[in-house]
Order: sequence, then structure tokens, then C-alpha cells
Amino acid sequence: MSDDMTMTSQSAHTALPGQERYVAPIEETPLHEVDSVDEAAPAASMWADAWRTLRKNPLFIISGIMILAVVFVALFPQVLTNQDPNYCTLDNSLEPARAGHPFGFNLQGCDIYARVIYGTRTSLSVGVLATVLVVLIGSLIGALAGFFGGWIDAVLSRLTDIFLALPILLGAIVVLQMFRTSTSIWKVVLVMALFGWVSTARIARGAVMESKNLEFNTASTALGSTPTRNLFRHIIPNSLAPIIVVGTTSLGTYIVLEATLSFLGVGLPSSTVSWGGDISDAQSVLTTDPMVLFYPSAALAITVLAFIMMGDAVKDALDPKSRTA
Amino acid sequence: MSKVMNTANNLEALQREQGPLLEVKNLQVDFTTDSNRVVHAVRDASFSVYPGQWVAIVGESGSGKSTSAMAVLGLLAGTGHVSGGSIKLDGQELTELKPKDFDKLRGSKMGLVPQDPMSNLNPVWRIGTQVKEALVANGMDISHEKRSKLATALAGGEVAVKSADDELFISSAERPALMEAAKSGLQKAGVDGERFEAAMQHFEQEWDAGSQTRWRVADDLIQAGMGDDEAWAIAKQYVTGSNMEDRIAGLLSEAGLPDAATRARQFPHEFSGGMRQRALIAIGLACRPDLLIADEPTSALDVTVQKRILDHLHNLTDSLGTAVLFITHDLGLAAERAQHIVVMYKGQVVESGPSLEVLQHPQHPYTKRLVAAAPSLASQRIISAQKQGLDAESLKEHHTKDDAALERSEHIITVDHLTKEFKLPRRKEMFKAVDDVSFSLKRGTTLAIVGESGSGKSTVANMVLKLLEPSAGTVTYEGKNIAGFKGKELLDFRRHVQPVFQNPYGSLDPMYSIYRSIEEPLRIHGIGDTKSRRKRVRELLDMVNMPESVMGRYPNELSGGQRQRIAIARAMALNPDVIVCDEAVSALDVLVQDQVLRLLNDLQAEQGLSYLFITHDLAVVRQIADEVVVMQHGKLVEHATTDEVFEHPKMKYTQDLLDAIPGGKLQLGLD
Amino acid sequence: MGKYLLRRILQMIPVVLGTTLLVYALVFALPGDPVKAMFGDKPVNDAVAAQIRAEYNLDKPFIVQYLLFLKNALTLDFGNTFAGQPVIDEIGRAFPVTIRLALMAFVFEALFGVVFGIISGLKKGKWYDTVILIVSLLLISVPTFVTGFLGQYLFGVEWGILPVTAGANPGFFDLLLPAMVLGSVSMAYIIRLTRAEVSSNIAEDYVRTARAKGMGSRSVLFRHILRNSLIPVVTYLGQDLGVLMGGAMISETIFNIHGVGYLTYQSILKGEANLVVSIVTLLMLIFVVCNLLVDLLYAALDPRIRYA
Repeated sequence: MSDDMTMTSQSAHTALPGQERYVAPIEETPLHEVDSVDEAAPAASMWADAWRTLRKNPLFIISGIMILAVVFVALFPQVLTNQDPNYCTLDNSLEPARAGHPFGFNLQGCDIYARVIYGTRTSLSVGVLATVLVVLIGSLIGALAGFFGGWIDAVLSRLTDIFLALPILLGAIVVLQMFRTSTSIWKVVLVMALFGWVSTARIARGAVMESKNLEFNTASTALGSTPTRNLFRHIIPNSLAPIIVVGTTSLGTYIVLEATLSFLGVGLPSSTVSWGGDISDAQSVLTTDPMVLFYPSAALAITVLAFIMMGDAVKDALDPKSRTA
Repeated sequence: MSKVMNTANNLEALQREQGPLLEVKNLQVDFTTDSNRVVHAVRDASFSVYPGQWVAIVGESGSGKSTSAMAVLGLLAGTGHVSGGSIKLDGQELTELKPKDFDKLRGSKMGLVPQDPMSNLNPVWRIGTQVKEALVANGMDISHEKRSKLATALAGGEVAVKSADDELFISSAERPALMEAAKSGLQKAGVDGERFEAAMQHFEQEWDAGSQTRWRVADDLIQAGMGDDEAWAIAKQYVTGSNMEDRIAGLLSEAGLPDAATRARQFPHEFSGGMRQRALIAIGLACRPDLLIADEPTSALDVTVQKRILDHLHNLTDSLGTAVLFITHDLGLAAERAQHIVVMYKGQVVESGPSLEVLQHPQHPYTKRLVAAAPSLASQRIISAQKQGLDAESLKEHHTKDDAALERSEHIITVDHLTKEFKLPRRKEMFKAVDDVSFSLKRGTTLAIVGESGSGKSTVANMVLKLLEPSAGTVTYEGKNIAGFKGKELLDFRRHVQPVFQNPYGSLDPMYSIYRSIEEPLRIHGIGDTKSRRKRVRELLDMVNMPESVMGRYPNELSGGQRQRIAIARAMALNPDVIVCDEAVSALDVLVQDQVLRLLNDLQAEQGLSYLFITHDLAVVRQIADEVVVMQHGKLVEHATTDEVFEHPKMKYTQDLLDAIPGGKLQLGLD
Repeated sequence: MGKYLLRRILQMIPVVLGTTLLVYALVFALPGDPVKAMFGDKPVNDAVAAQIRAEYNLDKPFIVQYLLFLKNALTLDFGNTFAGQPVIDEIGRAFPVTIRLALMAFVFEALFGVVFGIISGLKKGKWYDTVILIVSLLLISVPTFVTGFLGQYLFGVEWGILPVTAGANPGFFDLLLPAMVLGSVSMAYIIRLTRAEVSSNIAEDYVRTARAKGMGSRSVLFRHILRNSLIPVVTYLGQDLGVLMGGAMISETIFNIHGVGYLTYQSILKGEANLVVSIVTLLMLIFVVCNLLVDLLYAALDPRIRYA
């Protein structure tokens, strides 16, 4: 059956019932201008767009409030307690809560509430410092490897494989064991950065390689732009989103890692008030006084939860493809 | 012809008698957005499809055409739901159907050939397995053909199908013996010489295991000169039904897939786009549905492949008596394939009726607009006008230069024996993407490079733009070889030769405001101060008919056509001589495409620009180019003026491309 | 495939060498004297110290020490502990316990992670999806040692249904709680991964095509949605097996299980450098081999991936 046939036969006959010629009344189907711009809509850059998505996300609101609270506690612990976290006397050992000491006392007789409050600053500062270092080092190395490719990339990839094969906790313990006597919190920060930069570098490398291949770079080159100009004007700004996401989530991870190291006795020195250390101290009285262990654990969990939730929310806003909720 | 006419009359009589197969009345489909707003994707749409009929729904993206089709299948995506009206299939109301009952209708009563062949096959299952799933899910009898009442009635004029067993398929195991029997049977009947050879060749081609039936075999034997009784005896003895593998291969080869039995064992990623689409057609028709919904089944494919596949689908559905609801954005294609057209616009049916009538006498302003803008129809109008000896120039958007004028023009870009080789992974030999191509672009004119995917046309564009270095040959700009350009000279070249790329979503940096995007070339070339640049950006926006208010916007807020206009404004910022448009309008809806083409034409007329226009669409070429270069597999196939190429194509490939322009057989009025 | 395997094994060599060198350098080249560590607070006799140094090759240049270590490691000779026990014997005692623990954790996280992930992904937005999501967020946020203590307190002390600590020769019930604690964080990640995969696969075009064929929702679910969703999940699980072996340190310390993690931690504290390097080398080998298996598995699950 050829096309001519069907065509001629159809047009020669009257239409089948229900298929008669129909033209919609123009009043009901008004014609719009072709491809007109909606001038009423508000302008939105990618960041403004992300912010709008973020603002509506309950995950962001809850975690944002939690983080603000944690930051406030870390900055102004003295507002929340007038107790000295380091004032401990065995007379108070495992005393229950009483006025002015809402969480009671631990084995050494220190005020648990004051230690939880003051521990916030330690955890947060270690986490923030480690994250900043990791993101700076990792994204710089990753970006270079992704942009230049070739041998730089090959070397980096092998190095990444090596570091990934070594569990971060194990590596950190081995190194920290050497610096047991040091009392600086920087040793923990540096060790976490040493073993942590690889994963950020991998993500930064991927992001840079992806935006390097986007068409607007070719377009800019054809306009007369140079590779270096493209790197700073187009590629780096377009690679920031995944790095910001990994940074936010890492903050929580590093706080956990610091607490774990302190728990194992190789992290922060015992003179520093830290949740991990207090949890470690409390394990011997777990069966009799579980609340001594509960308070610092809860503080730790809430803080980490806030940052992980924030990471999820930021990821949803910046990378709509991988929505978690 | 009279027999064919007769069949057509029979068909129509049958259609009248049986009534509509699908009847959609006042359909309303709503989607709920994230912010709980209700969007009416389809409003008050009514249309019907008769048995064995092709009906096309035409519209641009967002018109609700696909949504209407998916509502019929009960497969609306996400929050979509039918909120009003009725959908009746064979008299059965579908809108109130339970999901379980819908499962029973899909596949066996209505099938789908989806739009994108790349994403519609599951990458982890073999092709054959995915065909088998359809057969198993609907409990199909794999040894017998299931022929619709309509097809039986239509075929009944030729051969009487007496019993159900006459519909048994050939099996691959029996096929050699069948061929032997046919051979000796023909010899016994005294058929010899050329007639014998022709008959045997016909059997070899047509008697596919799992696809051809007993009565067809008997009929073929009788046609070849055998007596009725002997023919039926052979058919009864050697055609006793196929197994699952045979049936799968039969379905695939029926859809036009060569070497189907082997292909069935392969995975989708081993198939080309055209082959995948054939597999999807096999799946859609596997259970012999009464209605096939074809949702832009070929828009992702090259034009020549598109034509072959649609021709094949048309023959197949005709012989099976399957009705087709054909969704397309191309009015020419719709009119060529379907008897009845439904035009949708912003969720509503604006016009419907017999194809040719709608096309020749469009009444709704939207349809008029579409008819005027469709490149395939426009090029068809020019051809019709020239055949009737009328002045075709008034129909063209672009006023082509005559030979003499072209002869006089200065060559602004000359491509000489250009070759580009790429190293393929895991292969020793180099792949020649561009092979010895030469042509010149004349100042103030448009040269189009036409070819299908893989023809090397974009590689040529990138070498002309000095984004790729040629393996051999030269590109000359104003008499100078661009290979030697460095530093200031290169910057100067870039200033004068500007690109507009295909993908309007990729060529603008999403982090840049429209102002910054258009300003970027001025900044790179250090032209003007902030104030004068702002003024220039304003001028440029005005030039591409965009309001000044978009300056503060970002690309993600604009439509594809708007972004492409911004890209053109950016390209125009430096007052270039040459613009290289690499598939610059391919991704756009017909009306938007028309708008951008007009803009390009106006700019050329005002500023004397020269265009190198890369496209796969010959119909567009007709409207914009002075000269055409046709490329295939990296080689230049034909190079001539546009009129010459359209009126007297010298090469078979060019002719194939021309034939593939939809609507070629339509008789168009010029009113 | 054989060629591919060979090439992958060759590629593993620089990683193995690099990692052992890194660990060796961290343990032996950093400040701190292993000999001093051996004697703890006791004064050290110089002659004895020199003898020990010679025995452990500590008097030789660093790179020679490393090469000697490698040479011996190839014959599974990792030297002796300070107490004179062959290191390989210590490892031989600890590994079976950890392998049992890791496998139990693996089964736990795979089973519950996948099942809850599927339920959550299929019924996005339902109340139980929200509950599953919140629980998985909590498991990710709460450090393992806190989860461990919590489990110990609730199951062991408060309800008394599971043993509080495992001891030297643990059985199935002794390891049940530690395995759950060990697998809990990964389980949460698997839930999230499975959920994301399932919910994105539901919207794939080929799922719609399968439904258009007339397939029932159950077969579409198993043959198309789950089959495709499980590819990345299985990959994650494979890699995690290696991670679980090395990550058992916390659970083993809390529950007093004498496995590899416990042994590593104790030897780091005691400065048993030889033991530390040997264990880390073995753990890393296991990790790298797991990764290789994952790659092979991946290619088997996804026909698009060729052995190339």
C-alpha cells in the first residue's frame, strides 16, 4: 500500500464520524507570541536558585538551627555555664544531678554539663580546621590533575589509590602514636588532613574534568579566551558545587574521627576537654552509671547529625540530579 | 491500482461498520508541581482513531501531545493523572480501570514505540530477552500469527484463510526442508529458468522463520506457478509452528533487523540507534495490538534512517491492520503518514481533520503559523512553485545569489584538501573523520554543509574555527593560512570568525548572567569601558529582539531558542565577518527555529555576514543557503548551488537525502 | 578476560608497594624509638639494644630495612614479636575471628540495607520511608563507639539478651551484637544508595517500555527496577567487605574480641612495629583483592562494561 493511495482515497471521501474537520474557537485557544520572555519572573543565578531551594527544605532549616546553636555554644560557653570544666574533685565522683549541675558528675568528679558545653569548642574547631585544610589541599591538587591531565593526573591517581588502600583510622593511629607526648590540637588536625585530602582531590578532579569538557569552554576559546583564563573564569566557578557538598559532609565525618581518636587515647591530650575523651573515661562505669556516657555521646551525635543533614540539604540544592529526599 | 482502490474502499467500509477503535473525549490531564500547584497539561482534548488508521497528533514541545498518548496507555509520568473526560478503547472506558486490568490491555490491545531508542531498552538484558518479555507477559501463542479481524478481512480478498492452523509460523528447524520441497515442487510443476530463480530468491528473502505463516507460503508457491493442492500439501507438511527463539527472530526481522537470530543474542549497547528503534518496533508489535502508539519514533535518528524505518512500520501496520496514533512535531511528516491530523497547542486541540485539507487550508492561526514555518513544507512549496513556473523567490526567506554573483564574490574562507584523522582506542588504523575536503565560502553568502551523524561536518567546522588542527590540508582566511596564527594574529582571527554552537544549553556558562555572557568577547578583546560595553550589549540584545531586562538573567531561566539568540548576540558583539553555525537550530521547535533562521537572514542582509551553516536537515538548507556541500563518511559527495542540488542532484546519496525530507509526496497549494 | 585479570594484577603491584612503603615509613622512619618502646619505662641496656637493633635490621638504612621486610614478607615470614612469638602465628590466631565478624556484619548490612532501601525507594514520601531515612541518618551521625556502648547497655545490661563482651574464643551469639554495630554505618549508606537507585530507576524510560509491553508490576519490579538498581549496590558491598576487615578496630576494642583490629590497636600502643606493618600489609592486600573482585563482578553484572 503506497502513501499516495491512502492520501487520495481519504480526501476523496467524507470523513469518518468523529473525524470531521474541527477548528477550535480562537477565543478559547489564544495565540501567544513565539518564544517570548517572561519579564515578570525574578532573576536567579545558580546560587540564588540553590538558596531558594535550600530555604524551602525542612532538612536545611532544622540542621541550620542546630548548627547555629552549636556554634553559639562553642563561641560563648561561659554564657551557658559558670562552672569550670577542669575543676574536678573526687568528692563529687559520680554524684547525681543537683542544682547548678544538671547532668551530675563523672568518675573524676567533674561537672558533666560544663564539660559537654566546653567540649563543643574543641570538637568544632578540630572539625572546621581539618575540613578547611582538606578542602584547600584536596581541591587544589585535584583541580590541577583534572585540568592538566597527563602525567600529573597519572601520579595523582596512583597516590590516591595508595592512600585509599590504607584505612584512615589505622593510618591516623599509627602517626598519632608517635606524637603521643604533644599536647597541641594541631597534631590531630594535620593527621586528619594528611589522610583526608585524597577523597576531596578525587571529587575536585572529577568536577574539573567534567566542567572542562562543557561546551561553553570551547565557545570561550573560539571567542579568543586562553586556557588559563578559561580555568579561572569558567572551570573553577563551575566546579565549586561538588566541593562545597563534600566539605559540608566532611565536617561531620572529621568530628566523628576526632572523637574516635580521642576515645582510643591517641587523639587530643587528656588536658583538653573533649567529648571523645570523656566517653572513653565513662566506659568503665557504663553498667552502673550509663548517663555519664550518655551526655557527651548525645552532644557528639547531635552535632554530627546537624552537619550530615546540612550536607544532604546542600547536595539537594546544588545537584538536583542526586536528590536524597 | 483498481485492486488497491478496492481494498481502500473495503477498509473504509469496515471502519464505518466497526466504529472508532480509540475515542478520546474532553480529556483533561493535570500535573501537581512540587509547590502543590496544579498544571493542566492537557485540556478538553478530543480525537478518535479508527481500526487500521494512522492518526497524527502534531505539536511543539509542551503542547501535550505525548501526555495525551501516555494517558491513553495509562503510563503518565510522576504526578500526572487524568482529571476529566473519557478514553474509550473498543468501547471500554479506560479512565476508571484498575492498574491490574490496565496491565492486561497494554501489550496485547495497545503497544508503544517510544521516542528515544537510547534510553528505552534496558541495558542489562539481551534484545531477544526483552522481546520475549512482551510475548510471555501477554501469554502469546508463539506458534501462530494473531491477525486482527480487520487484517483478515482485508487479506481475505486474496487468499482464504480456512483454519487457525493456516496461521502457523515457519520454524527455523523446518526451513531447510521446506526450501528443498519448494525447489523440487517448482521443478515438478515445470517452473524453470529465470522464473524459477526469481521465485526461489523471493522465498529465500521472505520466508523468515517465526514470521511467515503457512497460508503465505502456500500463496507464494501458488503465485510461483505451483498447483493449489501441491502447494498446500507442502505448506502443511513443512510449516508446523515456531518455537520461542524463532518467533523472537521473526519479530525482529519483520521490524527490518537483518540477521535477526544473531542480533537477538546481543545487548542494546551493541546496537546503533536505528537498530534499537527497530527492536522497539518489534516489541511494540510483538503481541499484535489493535492500536500502536508511536511517540516521535524516529526523531532521534538520521533522516534517511528515519524514512526507511517509517516506511517499514507503515507497511507492517497496514498488513497487520494495526491502527497507529503517531505523535510528531513535524507537520510534513504527519501529513505524509497519517490520514487524519490533530494539531495541539498549549494542551488544547486547536484544529483537526483530514491531513491534506488541514495542510492546504489551515484555519486556526496556530496551524497557519506552523504550516508557514515548517521547513519541510516550505521547501516543498518552493519546488511546487518552480514546477508550475511561478516565481519561487518570494517563498524563500533567503534570497539566493545567482551563479554570476557568486562567481564575482571574494572567497573569505577557503578549505583546501582538508583531512582529519583520529586515533581510535584499541585500533591500529587511524579513523579518517574528514577526508580530503575542499570548498570556499564567498563573502556575504551562506554555504551549508549537510550530512548525517558521523559525516565529519562538525569536524570541518571545528577546523575552520581553529579549535582542531587538521592532519593535512589548509584553511585560509582572507588569503592567510590559519595554521600559523598565534598571539595577536590569532586574536584578530577569532574576532572576525565567530561560532554559534548546536546545544543552546551548553554553550552559555550557567554561572554567567546574560550581560556577562554577551560582554565576555568585548572584555577578552579589551574593547571599550564598562559604560560603552553596557551600551553595546543593549544594542546587541535589541538586534536579536530580546528585551533589555534579560541582562540580569541567567541562562537556566531562558528557553532554548532564547539562549540561541543570546549566543548569536554574543557572536555578533565583535562585528565578525564570518559566523560558523554548527547545527545552530537543530534542537529548536519549528516556530522558534523559523524565528532564529529569519534573524540570521536579516543580520546577513544588514551586515553582509558570511555564514558557514552546518546541518543535517536539507529542508532548512533550502531556506537559508546559497551553496551546499554534501558530506558522507568524511568525504565531500556533492558541491553546488542550492537550486542545483535541489533540482538536479548528481549523486544518489544527495537524492536519498532529498527523498528523506518529509512531505515529499504532498501536493501543496500555494495559498 | 584472562588478559584483563593479568593487567589488573600488574596494576595492583605499584599500589601494594606504595602502601606498604607508606606504612613502613610511618612506623619506622618517624621520630620515636621502637626499642625504647619495647622496654616501656624500664632503663635500656645499650648492648642489649644494639643486639635487638641488629636482629630487626634497625641498624641498617631505612630503604634496606624496607626491602628486607618485603623479601621476608613474600615467604610469609614477618619476623617475631618482642615477646619472641612469630608474628604470623599471632596473625593466624586473630584473622579467623575477624573474618567471622566481618562476614556476619556483611550479611547484616547487605540484608537489611537492601531490603529497607528498596521499601524506602519504592514508597518515597510514605511515613515508613521517613522513619527509615531518619534512622539511617542517625546511624551515620552517631560514631560507632557510641552505637557500640548503646547496644552493649541495652542488649547486654538492661535486657540481658546478648553477651556484653565476647572474649577470646567467641561464638555466633557473642559476635551478633558486635557485627551489628560494625555493619550499622555501612547499612545506613546502603539504605541511602539503594533508595536513590530504586527511585531513579522507577522513572527510567525502559521501565515505562516494560510496562507498555504489558508486564505486571511484580515482574517489572524484579526484572527491571531491582536488577538495574543492584549494580552499584553490589559494587559498594564488595568494596565494603575489605573495609569491614580493617574497620573492626572499634567494635573489637569495645567488645573485647581478640581479632585483627584489637591486635593492631594493642600493637600500636605497645610499639610492636613489626606486627603493625605486617597486619596493615595483609589488610591492604585484602582490600585491593576485594576491589579487583568488585571490578570483575561489575563487568559480569553490567554488560556495557567490557574487560578492557
